Amino acid sequence: MKVFIVPPNSLILYDLVERFGHEPLSLMGELRDHVVKPEVESPPLNLSQEDIMKGLKYAGIEVPSGVRGRLAIWGPLVDQAGAAIIMHDMPYTFGCVGCHRTNLMLMYLVRKRGIPTLEVHYPHNEEEAKLMVSKVKGFLEGLK
Amino acid sequence: MIVIAPSSELTPDQVSRFIHSLGLDLHVKETCYGANIEGPRDQVRKAMVEVRRMDPNRIFTKIRAFPIGDERRCRAHHGSRPGFPQLEKEWKDLALIDKGLCAADRGEVCREKTKPKPLPVKQLQEIIDEVTR
Repeated sequence: MKVFIVPPNSLILYDLVERFGHEPLSLMGELRDHVVKPEVESPPLNLSQEDIMKGLKYAGIEVPSGVRGRLAIWGPLVDQAGAAIIMHDMPYTFGCVGCHRTNLMLMYLVRKRGIPTLEVHYPHNEEEAKLMVSKVKGFLEGLK
Repeated sequence: MIVIAPSSELTPDQVSRFIHSLGLDLHVKETCYGANIEGPRDQVRKAMVEVRRMDPNRIFTKIRAFPIGDERRCRAHHGSRPGFPQLEKEWKDLALIDKGLCAADRGEVCREKTKPKPLPVKQLQEIIDEVTR
């Protein structure tokens, strides 16, 4: 099953989803198609106007372009997902996952779709890590 | 992208040499955190399965958007690497995930800690009375 991960570029979640036998839907996978496709539409990242317009499906025109741009990539992934894992309190809140408003919109989109969703917290110690992994494992095994 | 957890005794060099020894049609690059591999999807999958067997709970993998040595990202060409601080943070915490995976393998039951209940107002009043007496 295709499992969407939040944050969409998390190494930990990507590995856990793949390890327990599912297909992770990640930002890296989606962007790879953009940056390696032969036609160079808008170098260096090949983000075209069409991509930005796709974002309008997920956020209104009055929403900042950065939010729409991000949702243009993440939104179609949410549409494809059969399940999702959301990790809260991630310590890194900068770069491509640094827009809090986009993150809130993304969580709203995931919850609105009504797919099976697991919400966990970023682990800060051994006990929390054990709890997080056991929850993720239980959830992913239950999807089979 | 193959990332070795800090709790593992493997080195990126060992991992890269192991991948080369598999004789697959892959492009391998040794990095400070592990290795990057690139090639046909089935060959990459085969290599990942074999590499994970070296240290199952301490070798982690994910897909990387940019190809190996891409000038837009490769630091050898002064490319920016905005995702690295996140990778570094998650790499440090892989030792915790390793403990979690080992516990899951053992079938350890992990229960969420019950949150401490807030102090009742009556009890707080008694404490205040006692201190201010």
